[in-house]
Amino acid sequence: MGLLNFTRDPVPEAVSGDMHNLNQLSAQQFSALTEVLFRFLTEPKEVERFLTQLSDFATMNKISLGPLKNIVKSILLVPNGALKRNLSSEQVRADFIALGLSEEKASYFAEQWKVNSPTLTRLAVGQTLMINQLIDMEWKFGVTAGSSELEKVGSIFLQLKLVIKKGSQLENVYVELTLPQFYSFLHEMERVKASLESFS
Amino acid sequence: QAPSKDAVRQLCQECFSSPPAALGPLAQRACPGLAAGPEEAEQLVSALHNLTRHVVYRGLTRAEDILSLFPENFHQNLKNLLTKIILENISAWRNEAQASQISLPRLVDMDWRVDIKTSSDSIIRMAVPTCLLQLKIQEDAALCGNNPVVSALTVELSKETLDTMLEGLGRIRDQLSAVANK
Repeated sequence: MGLLNFTRDPVPEAVSGDMHNLNQLSAQQFSALTEVLFRFLTEPKEVERFLTQLSDFATMNKISLGPLKNIVKSILLVPNGALKRNLSSEQVRADFIALGLSEEKASYFAEQWKVNSPTLTRLAVGQTLMINQLIDMEWKFGVTAGSSELEKVGSIFLQLKLVIKKGSQLENVYVELTLPQFYSFLHEMERVKASLESFS
Repeated sequence: QAPSKDAVRQLCQECFSSPPAALGPLAQRACPGLAAGPEEAEQLVSALHNLTRHVVYRGLTRAEDILSLFPENFHQNLKNLLTKIILENISAWRNEAQASQISLPRLVDMDWRVDIKTSSDSIIRMAVPTCLLQLKIQEDAALCGNNPVVSALTVELSKETLDTMLEGLGRIRDQLSAVANK
């Protein structure tokens, strides 16, 4: 086996056997299985649904669930590595062929990879570490009570409530801004937006 | 030296309600009534402000607790009078504090930086810009006396979050314009 794109580590021995079994599936069966896999990859939280769909697939196609799960584990190695390394669909196809999958199935999977990769990339970026991520912002206006007719009665200030994710917990931060501070803050955030856009 | 008990009562109420920034003008207005110099008036007003707020925010409700706040050689009758006035006003003041949320922390400074995320455990190579925003926040001066605590909070905003925030800030600006134009 030549150098693979999706990993630098040696591939577990069971993988070629699993690819051989995969080749025995009809095109239709392979297509159905691929759909189940990508649905899981794009919604990784839906573990139960994934397992149910695998179990249904096993029953419908008269395959034992145990071996099917092993096959699925082997297949998933490729898209997981491909996502980490931003592989093209060409590279994904080449890797599957190198692992022993038929050209037809490898091309089909690579096609599905191409279709789904924007969603998958966005998911992976979303999982990247964020420091005290800002989740939500609420606001309220307040009015100071003046105590003399000489002072400006009723000067407005802004109260912000920021909802922040610290680790796995949410925390509320309250902060008060004067109006000049608010306008300055707005101006700075617009500068940030311009900066972020120049990098996109 | 105050002319009457009511004058003392009035002064206590004004000192409590006044935000720290307005204490100067308040002291000036109080001067004539107390026959005191401007510096003394300022000290008095500031002390009353801190005392009354301290009592409310610490939730002190018993006369003994309030009496114990005064220094030892404080004038006995005045101490009792002040304590009595404070106790009379406590629940009204607590409502006022909650209604106007005098105790919210204030923004004192703000810095930002844009970073480009180039790599992570989930993607080995990427170029995702992200904003780090640092807010310096000061806890309410009344709670901290003369040593206000300033904390720095760093918050990260993705481009999407920033866009949503700007929408919110735009709505605030529109609401402010509507009020100004009334």
